[in-house]
Amino acid sequence: MVKLTIDDQIVEVPEGTTILEAAEKLNIYIPTLCHHESLTSYGGCRLCVVEITQNGVTDLTSSCTYKVEEGVKVKTTTERVKRVRRLVLELLLAEAPEAQIVQDLAKEMGVTIPERFKPRRDDLCILCGRCIRACRELVGVNAIDFAERGYSKKVAAPFYKSSPDCIACGVCVYICPTGAITMQEVEKGEKARIPEGEEVTGPARIINNWKVGLAMKRCKKCGEVIAPEFQLDYLRKKVNLPEDHFDICLSCRE
Amino acid sequence: MSSVKDLERLKAEGMNSLFPSKTKIMVGMATCGQAAGAQEVWQAIHQEVKRRKLDVVVKKTGCIGLCQHEPLLDILKPGYPRITYDRVTPEKVSEVLDGLVKGKFKKSIMARIDHEEFLLDDTRTRYSKDKIPAYITSIVPYNRLPFYKKQKRVALRNCGFIDPENIAEYVAKGGYFSLTQVLRGGKPEKVISQIKRSKLRGRGGAGFLTGVKWEVCRNADGDGKYLICNADEGDPGAYMDRSILEGDPHSIIEGMLIGGFAIGANQGYIYVREEYPLAIERLQSALTQAQEEGLLGENILDSGFDFELEICRGAGAFVCGEETALIQSIEGNWGEPKPRPPFPAVSGLWGKPTVINNVETWANVPVIIAKGANWFNGLGTSRSKGTKVFSLVGKVNNIGLVEVPMGISLREIVYEIGGGIPNGRKFKAVQTGGPSGGCIPKNLIDLPVDFDQLKKAGSIMGSGGMIVMDDRTCMVDVAKYFLTFLEDESCGKCVPCRVGIRRMRELLEDITSGRGREGDIEYLQQMAETIKEGSLCGLGKTAPNPVLTTLHYFRDEYEAHIRGKRCPAGVCKPLITYSINPETCTGCGVCLRVCPQEAISGKKKKPHKITSSKCIKCGACFEVCTFGAIVIT
Amino acid sequence: MSSFEDEGIVDEIIKKNEQSSLIVILQEVQSHYNYLPEQALTLLNKKLEVPLSKIFSLATFYRSFSLRPRGKNVIKVCLGTACHVKSGNNLFEKAKRDLNLTEGEVTTLDLGFTVEKVRCLGCCSLAPVVRINEDTYGSMTQERLSKVLKKYL
Repeated sequence: MVKLTIDDQIVEVPEGTTILEAAEKLNIYIPTLCHHESLTSYGGCRLCVVEITQNGVTDLTSSCTYKVEEGVKVKTTTERVKRVRRLVLELLLAEAPEAQIVQDLAKEMGVTIPERFKPRRDDLCILCGRCIRACRELVGVNAIDFAERGYSKKVAAPFYKSSPDCIACGVCVYICPTGAITMQEVEKGEKARIPEGEEVTGPARIINNWKVGLAMKRCKKCGEVIAPEFQLDYLRKKVNLPEDHFDICLSCRE
Repeated sequence: MSSVKDLERLKAEGMNSLFPSKTKIMVGMATCGQAAGAQEVWQAIHQEVKRRKLDVVVKKTGCIGLCQHEPLLDILKPGYPRITYDRVTPEKVSEVLDGLVKGKFKKSIMARIDHEEFLLDDTRTRYSKDKIPAYITSIVPYNRLPFYKKQKRVALRNCGFIDPENIAEYVAKGGYFSLTQVLRGGKPEKVISQIKRSKLRGRGGAGFLTGVKWEVCRNADGDGKYLICNADEGDPGAYMDRSILEGDPHSIIEGMLIGGFAIGANQGYIYVREEYPLAIERLQSALTQAQEEGLLGENILDSGFDFELEICRGAGAFVCGEETALIQSIEGNWGEPKPRPPFPAVSGLWGKPTVINNVETWANVPVIIAKGANWFNGLGTSRSKGTKVFSLVGKVNNIGLVEVPMGISLREIVYEIGGGIPNGRKFKAVQTGGPSGGCIPKNLIDLPVDFDQLKKAGSIMGSGGMIVMDDRTCMVDVAKYFLTFLEDESCGKCVPCRVGIRRMRELLEDITSGRGREGDIEYLQQMAETIKEGSLCGLGKTAPNPVLTTLHYFRDEYEAHIRGKRCPAGVCKPLITYSINPETCTGCGVCLRVCPQEAISGKKKKPHKITSSKCIKCGACFEVCTFGAIVIT
Repeated sequence: MSSFEDEGIVDEIIKKNEQSSLIVILQEVQSHYNYLPEQALTLLNKKLEVPLSKIFSLATFYRSFSLRPRGKNVIKVCLGTACHVKSGNNLFEKAKRDLNLTEGEVTTLDLGFTVEKVRCLGCCSLAPVVRINEDTYGSMTQERLSKVLKKYL
């Protein structure tokens, strides 16, 4: 167990705990954006920075990545910390002004878009990387990753074309904090277009950002939609299930 | 090679190669030499020697530092001082050899060297007999040239003196004897203690105490430790490491062998940026030779110590000079820095304890072992020991590579070694530390150069790039330049760096285009300070330095751009105009012919005129006018 | 590009670099084709069982990789600090003008030349510097650049 101080309160936590987790135990709120409890820490948004003092040296670090050490003193809302958080939100607000979560966080801290910045317009992506980590760590498909670097960095499917590996599971859609990734559920008989691609007839699911449109498999018994065929094929092969395993939906099997 | 006897044999071979019984001709064949035309000179020499059937030896050598005078051709005739000819062309080669055949030297000798120093064993070898022609003794010796007088070459000890492709010559100058001493002694802790006592600080920029880093790594848990040489010298304007790699690659190999033994690592990597193809070639050839001589591989010098070294090529990412990003790159990933702690010395390459040191740091290691910690920490200042190699470039007369003891003043470097500012212009600032550093103005010119003093002035030592700027350099443009560079090189992981630097650069674009507003300076200042605090890695944390130092020392220039919509130095294109001074223009018409926009008009022998609306300010006319009639305001 | 021919080349590159990282393999592929063809990267994905998204990620992060075919002659204009204060940017613009390349273009239509900016070739003492293929030229001027370019036509 490791003992440390956060905002003058002492807390004891197991080794390997991050400052963010330790703060949660004390009900101390630290804002986050790129962090998600089901994923590995990234430390990219810098919203969760805190001031830590150890061996007489004080520094700013991201609380989601820093593993606690014995005797470290943490301060979660000093002026330095607030300045960094405000800058991060100012910058993100100007990048993705329509993103609700950024607007909410900005309001919390009393931040508005600096008058000197020309706001970007239509992109909701703040490059937090949650979608990529989810696709890699939770789903294991690695359909998307970062491309380019610096300001031109984007989340993309290879060659900016339709992702050959995406199984349209929708995890990226749900885990994206700003709603930058969108999905279309196409009903039976309806038609919809894959962005920059062909038309599909439902039942199908389209993940717009990765230009993927997959036909949905329907239960041979009741006709209800189960999941994209490509996804089920992928799972079947991965776990070595029989060819007809997903032909019947769960409810019908019972 | 299994014993010191073999090393001694190699040393004898090397001595014969260094001082042969026939005339030796040396050509500076580092990248800067080649960029100046040394390749053509090399070929010309070989052709002429063959044609005249001369019994001479022709050798390559590395950069001796006076890069601006390249190509350099040296003659070492037995019994005579070593003679250097500068700015050699294939035509001059013929004349030089003509003279040699007749037993004379061409009178246009640049400098002479009377004896060669052997730093590691404190000896000297005199080149010449007693009776030398007067016209040679009247040539200034190297160590009295203003450029060399105050230098002390430690890391650069062999550059320009040995053939980098010949391991025997490296051994002749004391090479690999430090390694022998270390392996014979058999005590890694003693080695670490010696490096600690020398107080050597990392030469890559951060200046961390090398001995302490080695100790932490040695004591860290983990089977299988690694050693890395950071040769990703990315700071624009800095080429110290390239010169060492091209001129004396074995110094790195020996340094790393010693380090590997001290820390308990058996595998090392040298990460070289791919923009240095010749350095990679020379390193590869040195590695092969070291392997052939049994100095790399298993059971080195019969000590039971194994060590393997490999080269990794960079792929065009400045951020990979940051140690955690470098490690990512070796592992085959994106060059995305990781938060520290944990530090690489504890958890680095493949999660194992790893020591990463810069090229120049490694080059100093064999010297410290040979001459002792006290010798090393007798040089320099109280907290910055030893010497530092700088690349002195920009608006200065003597451009080149200099190595000086820490503590020398900027004034001595710029005015004595550098020979002052050319073309009658005025000194304005010295930029140190690359994109992580800052600009030091005239009133601080007496600043002693060491880690702490430079930091106090708002800059950093960095890897050693020292760019001199004159009154025709716009400091706002310099800040914009560095931000543009960093914006391109940012990995993009963290918001303050990825977006913040971009926004700062946009602001500077506005300012340098006449769209600056009141309050911009204050806003830039605030943003810069916060980006420093909030960024994840060294790149982002130091990116605001050029902006902060120029704001601090050259605020008036910012104000001129914002309020006056003027660029006092005449650099920022949207704010300047090219015109022709009718009083100095002779109407020769050369400018008219080179103008790509046909913006210049005029009759022969009458003053010409530039039509501003057509002018794209490309600078072609300024380049060709020999009368100085093109005026930029 | 016949697919059989390329599979053989890619196989050989993989075999020669078995112990090396993905970056080294990409460098070898780029060395062979003078750029990274999409088909070659797709082959690497199949044979190395590395996600295609990761390969694409590496190919776009590192500047020395090009996903578009490059010219036979690659002109690298150095824009390091020393070259910048000696108007290296004017040289870059001159190269583009001489080769009739517009704002966003870097490669001539006949794939003869590609013009790139590089950050510091390390020849700062001879600024401004231009490297064409393996030849490095120091103290370059706009006039000389035009003459030198003709040598490579």
